[in-house]
Amino acid sequence: MDQLELLKKDWKNQESSLPKVSKEEISRLIHKRSSSIVKWIFIISVLEFIIPYLTLLFTGYDNKSMSSYEKIGLSNFMTIFYVITSIIILYFIFLFYKNYRSISASSNPKKLMQNIIKTRNIVKYYIWFNLIALFVVSLIVMYKMFNSQVFMDSLPENTNMVMIWLVSIVVIVILVVFLWLFYRLIYGTLLTKLKHNYKELVSNGVDKL
Amino acid sequence: MTKELEHKFVNDLEQHQNIVHKVCKIYTNNKDAHNDLFQEISIQLWKAYPKFRGEAKFSTWMYRVALNTAITLYRKSKRTIKTQDFDSVLYKIESSVYDDTEEEQLKILYKAIYHLSDIEKALIFLYLEDKNYKEIAQTMGITEVNARVKMNRVKNKLKKILNP
Repeated sequence: MDQLELLKKDWKNQESSLPKVSKEEISRLIHKRSSSIVKWIFIISVLEFIIPYLTLLFTGYDNKSMSSYEKIGLSNFMTIFYVITSIIILYFIFLFYKNYRSISASSNPKKLMQNIIKTRNIVKYYIWFNLIALFVVSLIVMYKMFNSQVFMDSLPENTNMVMIWLVSIVVIVILVVFLWLFYRLIYGTLLTKLKHNYKELVSNGVDKL
Repeated sequence: MTKELEHKFVNDLEQHQNIVHKVCKIYTNNKDAHNDLFQEISIQLWKAYPKFRGEAKFSTWMYRVALNTAITLYRKSKRTIKTQDFDSVLYKIESSVYDDTEEEQLKILYKAIYHLSDIEKALIFLYLEDKNYKEIAQTMGITEVNARVKMNRVKNKLKKILNP
């Protein structure tokens, strides 16, 4: 292809026309702040780890909430739940850190993209875990609450329990879906381009023009 | 990181800076964007430098870090001018493609390359750097067969853009 040969010839002869950066300038440059997406992935992931956990601790594990759990006979269950959740979260953080450390600009482009996707996937599983835990615990708390004497006594007569269950479940599902969409938005903005490039790099089929 | 290491790095980078400039040339289309990408690649090289143990040639290692930065790590700064959409470029190319001065032809070629995808740019860059398929495959982390298929596809794509 003549045109590409022409380009190659020009490419080889361009050395003299390329900019020249001095040593002093390089020394200055390398201490500037990086705008790498890995830095943002780290900051956002850490926030994603901390926020659900803090929300969990501050909304569920204080004295007021614990005394209401006690009323419906769930205080032991909730304590065990918080302990197990904390262990699982620590394990997720360990996995995340391990994968994050494996992200290196010296790997080949395929490996680099794989490592970034793997690291973000840990956060994805963590979010899934949180949403499922939120859903299951809410169901258990609701079940115990709706069957407690205090709750029954506070209801007007002829209340339709099926309606109460239905509305409560719909509210929880909406909450979970909303949180999931919010997460997908962050995940999407961070990784759309990367995933697109990764797919293109590994694919071998006939591509569009 | 010690002053000594920094001194050594700055010397190495100054000596091999053309590689970085050439990557910037493929991935950017104006001076500000070029300088921004040059800066980010330099930062990434410096960050990765302590782990560079000379298992590969300094230049080979630079190719990887520079391409990684351009393809994956770099977030375009606000100063980078938005790219034109593909159709308008095609139109411009069509109307000027019969201008046969070499300089004009080269301008069109570079313009066409700028509108390739990130991965395609990397492949064309390695082709222009005279790398063979084995080296291209190793640099990109793909198989040689995949590298060949992709390279042919990029060349055909360029051909179609240039000779519509």
